[in-house]
Amino acid sequence: MLITERKAKAMEKKTLDYDVAIIGGGAAGLTAGIYCGRARLKTILFEKSLVGGLATYTDEIENYPGFADPQKGIELMRKFEAQAKRFGVEFKLTDVKGVRLLEDGWKLVETFRVNYRVKAVIIATGGKPRLTGAKNEENFLYDKGISFCATCDAAYYTGKEVLVVGSGDAAIEEGLFLTKFARKVKVSVIHDEGILDANKVAQEQAFANPKMEFIWNTMVEEYQGEERLERVILRHTKTGELIPVEVDGAFLFIGYLPDTGLFEGLIALNEQGYIITNERMETNVEGIYAAGDVREKYLRQVATAVGDGAIAAVAAEHYITGSDYLQNQLLAGEKPKLIYVWEPASQCCRELLPVIEELDGKYKEKLDIEKVDVYKSQFLINKLCGQMPEALPAVISVVNGEVKEVACTGLTGEKLHRLALELLNR
Amino acid sequence: MAEYRLDCFGEACPVPLLKAQKKLADLKVGDLLIVEVDHSCAIKNVPEWARKEGHNVEIEEIGDGEWEIYIQKTK
Repeated sequence: MLITERKAKAMEKKTLDYDVAIIGGGAAGLTAGIYCGRARLKTILFEKSLVGGLATYTDEIENYPGFADPQKGIELMRKFEAQAKRFGVEFKLTDVKGVRLLEDGWKLVETFRVNYRVKAVIIATGGKPRLTGAKNEENFLYDKGISFCATCDAAYYTGKEVLVVGSGDAAIEEGLFLTKFARKVKVSVIHDEGILDANKVAQEQAFANPKMEFIWNTMVEEYQGEERLERVILRHTKTGELIPVEVDGAFLFIGYLPDTGLFEGLIALNEQGYIITNERMETNVEGIYAAGDVREKYLRQVATAVGDGAIAAVAAEHYITGSDYLQNQLLAGEKPKLIYVWEPASQCCRELLPVIEELDGKYKEKLDIEKVDVYKSQFLINKLCGQMPEALPAVISVVNGEVKEVACTGLTGEKLHRLALELLNR
Repeated sequence: MAEYRLDCFGEACPVPLLKAQKKLADLKVGDLLIVEVDHSCAIKNVPEWARKEGHNVEIEEIGDGEWEIYIQKTK
């Protein structure tokens, strides 16, 4: 498209329709994309920076199953992306400005130039690096000396001295990676001498590396420098002593905060800002799901993000097909409906099936008979009855698109005939 | 609404960011700056900085490992 056309289009904000919008292109979002695409849902994925998310900040990923040799984070994520694209997922590299609920159950995802009307939203926005909150920190962000990405910035520090803040997996592993470039990698650790939060393998390598030097019991007090960072002042957590460390750059690996500012007031977040979901990745708002690091969960890894993404996508698919079926089939049409809710594995549910078939044949002209399998369609049943019927089988009577009655006790062939007649005589 | 292109092909971080910062300062509100990059790190820091400053940002992948970053100056 010509740039002039582009600009003209930018003036008017258009609205496009999709089945699913996935916000965030990390491991969780990409996996959700793979599953949505493969389910033939029209899917758009929004990523505001580099596709691949936090994993692209990692030099080597050694514990993602299926790859016996360490993988470059960025390479592994390219494979995820290619797989999602193979299933027809569309990518939009922009930031989402807002998500709103529409009256008809659709959701509106707003971006700078286009609004997207979607049936389901999967939030996989992950986290953003936590800052130390020390004095003058903001003066040295954005390539002025404070970095959060060793793979991005390591080469720039070739032959120079850097400070790593933190002692978890990311701090120690990325610190080790930095020793391939930097002359010296000093590590500010909050704990007592010898204690790191990182995994044992990384610890052993770090303690054996002559370029790594640990400064125990310290936290950042202040950042100093003219244009760029020149010095970090650490404070000893026990003595209060101030320790100036001359550096060319500082890498902060002190954890992440959930990137959920956009969703405050829309869905339930916990005190730390993580999205609360159930095991189906459902948030408290129907049709909105969360997956990956952004969710309140026990372990944040590529391996767990992938599972979340798959579940969220399948839950979204069931929600979409279920809602469509509900609107276009179960609650549609002018004839009254009798919906038989059954479980194929249950003997008593199977026994009444012939009666249902008989009613279907007998009243075809005036009554619609539908069957809903609880195993496949919990969503539909919850929508129709509010909750799972106390006993199965159950029969739901629908008139003019509204549920009139749910009968689930003492169902016999005779009672089914009576219910059908009652519906016809309304 | 003028439009400017900034060729940063072949340049590693932090060069694209520094160039973009310098160039955008000369632009008028409403102008569009298109930064062409082929180092993935620039896709992380250039948009993040520009959004933090309050500008509108969109990225287009124009080829395998080549991107155009659209920055519309808003203030």
